[in-house]
Amino acid sequence: MLSYIVHRILIMIPTLLAISIVIFTIINLPPGDYFTTYIAELQSSGEAADLAKINFLKMQYGFDKPIWQQYLFWAGGLLHGDMGYSFAYNLPVNQVVGDRLLMTFIVSFTTILFTYIVAFPIGVYSATHQYSWSDHALTLLGFLGLATPSFLLALVLLYLANVYLGISIGGLMDPLYVNQPWSVAKALSVAAHLCIPVVVIGTAGTASMIRRLRANLLDELQKQYVVTARAKGLPPMKLLFKYPLRMALNPFISDIGSLLPHVISGAAIVSVVMSLPTTGPMLLEALRSQDMYLAGSFLMFMAFLTVIGVFISDLALAVLDPRIRLQAGRSQ
Amino acid sequence: MSGLSLSRREALQQSLAAVLTAATSQGARGELRETPFFRSEVTSGKLSKIEDRVPEEPAVAELETLGTPGGELRILMGGPKDTRMMVVYGYARLVGFTPELEFAPDILKSIDIEENRVFILHLRKGHRWSDGKPFTSEDFRYWFEDVAQNTRLSPSGIPVTMLAQGEGPRFEVLDETTVRYSWTHPNPLFLPDLAGPSPLYIYRPSQYLKQFHQKYADKAALDALVKETNQRNWAALHNKFDTMYRNDNPDLPSLEPWILKTRPPADRFVFERNPYYYRIDKAGTQLPYIDRVIMSIADGKIIPAKTGAGESDLQARYLRFDNYTFLRASEQRNDFKVRLWRTGPGSQLALYPNLNVSDEIWRGLVRDVRFRRALSLAIDRHEINQVIFFGLAIEGQNTLLPQSPLYEPRYRSAWGRFDLPEANRLLDLVGLKRGGDGIRLLPDGRSAEIIVENSGESTEQSDVLELIRDSWRRIGIKLFAKPSQLTLFRRRVFSGETLMSIDKGVENGLATAVMSPWEFAPTSQQQLEWPKWGQYYETKGTAGEPPDLPSAIRLKELYEEWLAASSHEEHARIWHDMLRIWADEVFSIGTVAGVLQPIVVNAKLRNVPEQGIYNWDPGAYFGIYKPDGFWFDLSETPAKSASIDASPAAQR
Repeated sequence: MLSYIVHRILIMIPTLLAISIVIFTIINLPPGDYFTTYIAELQSSGEAADLAKINFLKMQYGFDKPIWQQYLFWAGGLLHGDMGYSFAYNLPVNQVVGDRLLMTFIVSFTTILFTYIVAFPIGVYSATHQYSWSDHALTLLGFLGLATPSFLLALVLLYLANVYLGISIGGLMDPLYVNQPWSVAKALSVAAHLCIPVVVIGTAGTASMIRRLRANLLDELQKQYVVTARAKGLPPMKLLFKYPLRMALNPFISDIGSLLPHVISGAAIVSVVMSLPTTGPMLLEALRSQDMYLAGSFLMFMAFLTVIGVFISDLALAVLDPRIRLQAGRSQ
Repeated sequence: MSGLSLSRREALQQSLAAVLTAATSQGARGELRETPFFRSEVTSGKLSKIEDRVPEEPAVAELETLGTPGGELRILMGGPKDTRMMVVYGYARLVGFTPELEFAPDILKSIDIEENRVFILHLRKGHRWSDGKPFTSEDFRYWFEDVAQNTRLSPSGIPVTMLAQGEGPRFEVLDETTVRYSWTHPNPLFLPDLAGPSPLYIYRPSQYLKQFHQKYADKAALDALVKETNQRNWAALHNKFDTMYRNDNPDLPSLEPWILKTRPPADRFVFERNPYYYRIDKAGTQLPYIDRVIMSIADGKIIPAKTGAGESDLQARYLRFDNYTFLRASEQRNDFKVRLWRTGPGSQLALYPNLNVSDEIWRGLVRDVRFRRALSLAIDRHEINQVIFFGLAIEGQNTLLPQSPLYEPRYRSAWGRFDLPEANRLLDLVGLKRGGDGIRLLPDGRSAEIIVENSGESTEQSDVLELIRDSWRRIGIKLFAKPSQLTLFRRRVFSGETLMSIDKGVENGLATAVMSPWEFAPTSQQQLEWPKWGQYYETKGTAGEPPDLPSAIRLKELYEEWLAASSHEEHARIWHDMLRIWADEVFSIGTVAGVLQPIVVNAKLRNVPEQGIYNWDPGAYFGIYKPDGFWFDLSETPAKSASIDASPAAQR
């Protein structure tokens, strides 16, 4: 087991290296750079750009150097924890990302919690009551959740919440709490604003989770050991939770790998629509304006989390499922 | 809009030496009243008394109504870079435009001008920066000698608008409040640039910035600071903190009415009144009336919705004409008023045949004036106006607007009527025969299909193209619209891959004779009708191609004449010559102009004009209407208290 872990950790290094090269190449693929995009944007709105200052910045950041030198400069900085400089914000990337991470964590964790709390009981219920009218009703609800475009739902809910509940549109708190120290009133304001994003981002996830849990559980419920256990006279609840449900959970644990980066990046489209102060819109804007160090370092951070997440989920699976553990041991 | 005449300025210009004095009354200031916002700080001794904060000769504002100080103004912006909008709205300029588009000294007490060559700037005695340090001629000297001419800080040298025929000015400090700039040739670009929304700053808060300048700072301390802020050298450090226009450094002293208090990055920026502001009203109250401006950052697309929900007290940016109905519907509920102001571009959307297109056959065609005229005649502008702009826009070519003193109806109407038979006749003359499907054939047998590219930023462009497509079909020209992405779009036009593009018309539809006619001559790569000719001029011949169309060459010569001219009549004559050629040659094909801009104003906000012009330059959006004179009238009890936010004082 230990050598397996070491092996897995070592393999991360070339993976991350390859990812960093791909990220940097893709970011540099579109024609132009941050400054040409910036000038074009200013001029399209009729403003003149201060060319003297832009020339100055271009020289400062080595835009005249060949691309591989720029890459080495960036990657070398990353190793030291220096994520580079954001041109759009005129600040080091660390400072730009810092504030938004917390908000993203809050939104994402609440959403995941919401998804689990809603999806699990429903999934288990509709599997155990297959083809009953309540199963059909819940299934219909699940499909509605899957089919509704989340940005549309976001807009509708925003409007209703503003008109009927008086919650300010977009953002995660009332404007007057922004930049203020944390207080009870601020926490309450955040909680009120969280409802809509959580419901909107969670709907699609909840629906798909219900579907998957139902299908997995149904597979297991057909199996002979369930019949045997039932024949033996095991109480139905204990039976359900101890054996088939545990088996049905495997796919969810392997999901943790993709869950971690999701927690950081948030749901970009919904966040843009609702103007949430999370990292999603920031990343989108950075990519759009070719703010290459901000975009690159942030994508790199997410890649790192994905690699770690997959690693953790592999470990968790091994711990939870003896078959995986034993097979892994045998192959070595 | 009325009264845009320039007669007063014309009269001034007729004498060789003109003196611009502030239109507002000058001299002895009356009794001053302390601002309630600062009262506690003054009594505790942290801030000096109002008599010591306002200049000895303050600017006295002419206001529609006298206000009471206080309140918070909430505005919405689309990104953290928009902090610069407060410099645009604040519009404290050495010389600024009045709402009548005349020049008037603003920060300056007065300015003496000789033949557009010699400019003597008189500052106000006792004027101070927002940190209380005196604002003197030293601040001008510091910029000119230690910033603009320092090769590390300004690698490209003195700004181009300060070069007359390639020569920089001679700069002299006459005394503590007087400086002189003199050129050997006239420099007509100097004043308009000082008055611009993104102005030429020829002064700096020198006492603050010297701590980052190699020449003045202690070397050890400077090196430590460079290291601490993670900059590469002192020049980068200096430029990081020297952001007068960008306005993202709360420590940088300012002359604006409101100064930044929040350190970026943030999603909500607070701007607080400048205690040393130089303008007062007639009752002796220091401006601005409004204590704080709260700028919340939200995504640009959600701003109309937030505005409709009453989350902004003064909003125009990010609102579009098609939001108007929605905003009107929310007027009652959230206690604001929607006004419609005219916009300034010469055409909301204009088609630009690329005279530098790489395809030789097409290049020959678009350079044929008959072809361009035919395309223009085959556009039904009335239909576009009715279908997309509710008939509220002005139809015609891409040229100056009726509000401009240089406007003549024929400039706008030239080749601007809808006349299919004439268009067909012109195309027949050009020699384009119709093929079997009714589409004309090019000399090499291809069918005449024009791909119109756009930046893909708005659906309006596609809608207009859809209408043009139908009418062009009837003269045997097939139109395809191709949305792209802004940077890519420009790159393709510059390189000649694009045959035709659609974009905003000339930026300054309100030009007066003293403003530069550069948009009507090949002077910049950004001009979509002749990017390579423009680039040739911009780079002084090192890149691009020299213009080879007689009319374009003539326009360039006229522009150069305008630069060298020193009298108002000459400037006006050259402008008219250029406009005439521009109208006759149809270098760009205009559609409709003067589209209305919704302006959302809190129902209690006073002194915001009912009618106005929403324009970047000249105009600075709200800038020329001087928002420092806007105030909240809280005397009447609010009719509705449904939204707590509606009352700005409740937040304090």
